[in-house]
Amino acid sequence: MHFGKNMRTYYLILIPVLVLFFAFNTFPLINGLIYSFTNSKGYGGFDWVGLRNYADLFSDSRVGNSYLFTFKLALLGTVVINVLSLVLALALNSKIKFKSSLRGLYFIPNILGALVVGYVFNYFFTYILPYLTHSTSMLADKGWAWVAVVVVCAWQAIAMNTIIYISGLQTVPEDIYEAGALDGASGWNKFRYLTFPLIMPFFTINMVLSMKNLLMVFDQIMSLTQGGPAQSTESISYLIYNNGLAGGQFGFQSANAVIFFIVIVTISVLQMRFLNSREEQL
Amino acid sequence: MLTRRQAIKALAAIAAVTPVLAGCSSGTKASTSSDGVTNIEIVSYKQEATKVFAQLEESFNAQQSDIHLTVSSPKEAMTVLKTRFVRGDYPDIIGFGGDVNYSDFVEAGILTDVSGYRGLSKVKKPYLDILETLEYVPTEGTFGVPWMANAAGVLYNRSMFQQYGWAIPGTWDEFIALLDKVKAAGVQPLYAGFKDTWTTLAPWNALAVELAPSDTCKLVNEGKTTFAAEYREVAEKLYQLIGYMEENPFAYGYNDACTAFAKGQSAMFAIGSYALPQILTVNPDMDIDSFVMPGSNDTSKLVLNSGVDLQFAVMQSCPNKDAAYKVLDFLLEQGNMQTYLDAQSSVPCVEGSFEISSMLDGMRSYIDAGKVADFQDHHYPSQMSVDAQIQTFLLDGDVDKFLAKFDSDWVRYNRDIIRKVQAYENSQK
Amino acid sequence: MATSKVKEKFNWPVTILLLIGLVSVLFPLYMTVVIAFKSPTEMTTSIEGILSLPQTWSLDNFAKAIEVTDFWHSLLNSVLITAATIGISIVVHSLVAYAIGRNMASRKTFRFSYFYIVSGMFVPFAILMLPLVKETAQLHIDNPVGVVLLYVVFYMPMNVLLYTGYLKNIPVALEEAARVDGSTTWSTFWRIIFPLMGPMHATVAVLTALGTWNDVMTPLVIMSGNINTLPLAQLTFQTQFGTNYNLAFASYLLAMLPMLVFYLFAQKKIINGVINGAVK
Repeated sequence: MHFGKNMRTYYLILIPVLVLFFAFNTFPLINGLIYSFTNSKGYGGFDWVGLRNYADLFSDSRVGNSYLFTFKLALLGTVVINVLSLVLALALNSKIKFKSSLRGLYFIPNILGALVVGYVFNYFFTYILPYLTHSTSMLADKGWAWVAVVVVCAWQAIAMNTIIYISGLQTVPEDIYEAGALDGASGWNKFRYLTFPLIMPFFTINMVLSMKNLLMVFDQIMSLTQGGPAQSTESISYLIYNNGLAGGQFGFQSANAVIFFIVIVTISVLQMRFLNSREEQL
Repeated sequence: MLTRRQAIKALAAIAAVTPVLAGCSSGTKASTSSDGVTNIEIVSYKQEATKVFAQLEESFNAQQSDIHLTVSSPKEAMTVLKTRFVRGDYPDIIGFGGDVNYSDFVEAGILTDVSGYRGLSKVKKPYLDILETLEYVPTEGTFGVPWMANAAGVLYNRSMFQQYGWAIPGTWDEFIALLDKVKAAGVQPLYAGFKDTWTTLAPWNALAVELAPSDTCKLVNEGKTTFAAEYREVAEKLYQLIGYMEENPFAYGYNDACTAFAKGQSAMFAIGSYALPQILTVNPDMDIDSFVMPGSNDTSKLVLNSGVDLQFAVMQSCPNKDAAYKVLDFLLEQGNMQTYLDAQSSVPCVEGSFEISSMLDGMRSYIDAGKVADFQDHHYPSQMSVDAQIQTFLLDGDVDKFLAKFDSDWVRYNRDIIRKVQAYENSQK
Repeated sequence: MATSKVKEKFNWPVTILLLIGLVSVLFPLYMTVVIAFKSPTEMTTSIEGILSLPQTWSLDNFAKAIEVTDFWHSLLNSVLITAATIGISIVVHSLVAYAIGRNMASRKTFRFSYFYIVSGMFVPFAILMLPLVKETAQLHIDNPVGVVLLYVVFYMPMNVLLYTGYLKNIPVALEEAARVDGSTTWSTFWRIIFPLMGPMHATVAVLTALGTWNDVMTPLVIMSGNINTLPLAQLTFQTQFGTNYNLAFASYLLAMLPMLVFYLFAQKKIINGVINGAVK
């Protein structure tokens, strides 16, 4: 046995990669953490301000609102995306004509850049939708603009989630339905008690991924609303970028990013814990 | 075999070697090439003027053999510039606006004092004063050469005005009367693109230059007044104008507004001269003129809202300042400025007989007489997003809430600057 | 099996519903095409003006867009950056996933490395951005090389997660047999494991390509506008004081085209690639 030599090879592979990862992920993260204790603009000189940025974060209504908006978006978005993509996946996995073409076409939104998609939808919300519904533009209404953002995010994200669900559905063996049919299971019950438990792991992946992506939403905000109207659609990432570099609040927004990082990790871990425990129960 | 402890040690060693935070700069570019030619690099934030600058660059390089000029106008130029500053990679000259970026760069000490540069004497005094007032704390010296200005007020459809016989208003009451008259004639008086929040600043500034002191922000920093006191009338009058705009102006962006105005869907558009090239792309034959937006009934207070749209600053790090000044000399030549004016419908910051676009006829006398006042928003820190706050106010109409928030946010976002200003004031006593 | 397939029955109602649903996918594309072909003077703010077909199908906007965005160079840069990222990612990420996956159960160092790398998925780019600008400049990699390197790091968490997941399906017995024959870990990986990971390579390639191809921020801040990529070139149309939407949409369409064409040909592979990724 060449046990020692094997391990050496493994370490020789692992260590350079860890170094690379540290250098371009952890190290800048630590630098960001350091900046969060300064009033740096990103260039030029700066002063140390201790925990002031963190104290300010909790008293800043704009930051508070951006968290509210982002969570609202992430919650509704996750539900909408998962419900629709599950329905779509079931449809695309049934015995339909043009199956592979339809799958291919429904995946297109995912290959397009979010910036371009945002611009096109801008037109849609500004001119076409108001005309059809005889109302004013959703993007100009602070009560509705966030829904428009949900729509655009969902339009792009559904494609990927649908494909993931389809792959889940393909792991469900046919004979389980045959067995189920004998028990008289049909329609909703068949889905609820036979299909869904089997694709639970895919449900977990989709929930965690769509939640995380929605929490980090940036491109769609940039191209669709720029945070408006009345600052009602400023996502956390948008605020960090916009005020951090462009706005000269780099130190303060670094503190915001640190908290944001902690929040995202916490949510994702909790989500995985909860969903995994459900998986085991089923 | 490597143990875990060894692995961790190795990691720690690598972490220690990696440089911490800002180190030495890497921007060591050769300013003089081997054949004795000095390279001068200009980065301009006017991406829309790329073509004009390419033309100017070419003619400069054709007549100069010992200096080679490169002008670039990158996309997202201010972001690009700031990231270059972050890494210590400075161009020789930067072309940017007279706004809060100027204040920041002066404070950061990265611009050269050009007060000794002879070309500065050609620049009109009001524009030099504008740069002066932009400094957070009075700083000895001048750090930019104002080149082009823009002007904001009201653009109007001249042929439509002639057709209906409408007259240009000189006071606020006349302005409102005109708007009513236009409305009564079944024409949309104003069109706005408030979905793009920055456009709210155009009428805001145009009213503010007349209704609030030009150094409002400075006075607030010194604790001598509040925005609630200075901006109430500005806010109320702007809100009144909403009634004369298209239904729900918050649904439409800047482009939509330019398009609508160009198509004759409104008689007027409260915006700056920078919108002219865009309007003309939609309707190249449109007959447009402009007037100064009157904010009060006191005609003696009428002043044009005009600021430094493009100025050139020589970076502190530029190794060959004489070469940089030669480039500035070239840019300040009348013919070269005219080339830019023709392309961009701008206003020159420099004395001389220039041909200014006929679309600015209504503002011409103010420009010539130097009766100009700077955009107030050039003093607002961008992270405070005053434009978005104005949009919020225009949507819900609560003046008191808006002004209270303006004052409290101002203190919050300018804390460090206010401290410096007050320390300066104390040191002067 | 001897089940002679009787003529398959299709579920027509679902097929028809799906075809109707396609409108939601294709309508935005229709609008992009229509706007791209119009001239600015054809643009109006009324609904008919927006939806109607252009008066002439002129390619002027496209010709101009190609010129303004320096299309061919931008395309070349995008292709090179994306291709290099994919190539390096497949090799490096599968290799490290192999090292981690095979030792995770028995060694804490590897288990720790796994969680360390995967947790990187949750780091917001915004916090890394400015420190990375400084770092890449100090290391003199504020160029395409640096951008590729950063992508390799950014996509590492996702790809390592996928590869280690997939590795669980590859029986260890195969390697042990090879080892008995005297093969080293290194050569075992290349000869046996790497080819077996084929389907997952496709997945990784697709997911990494989608991310890098459309990314704007990384090339923008790292290369400071010196070198264009295709999405970066689209920012040309977003100057504050004037956007020519027709030209912009023509250019957007051009930017989408390579991906759409590529997708058209590799559609099945792409879809299957993503499906494999999910099945672990």
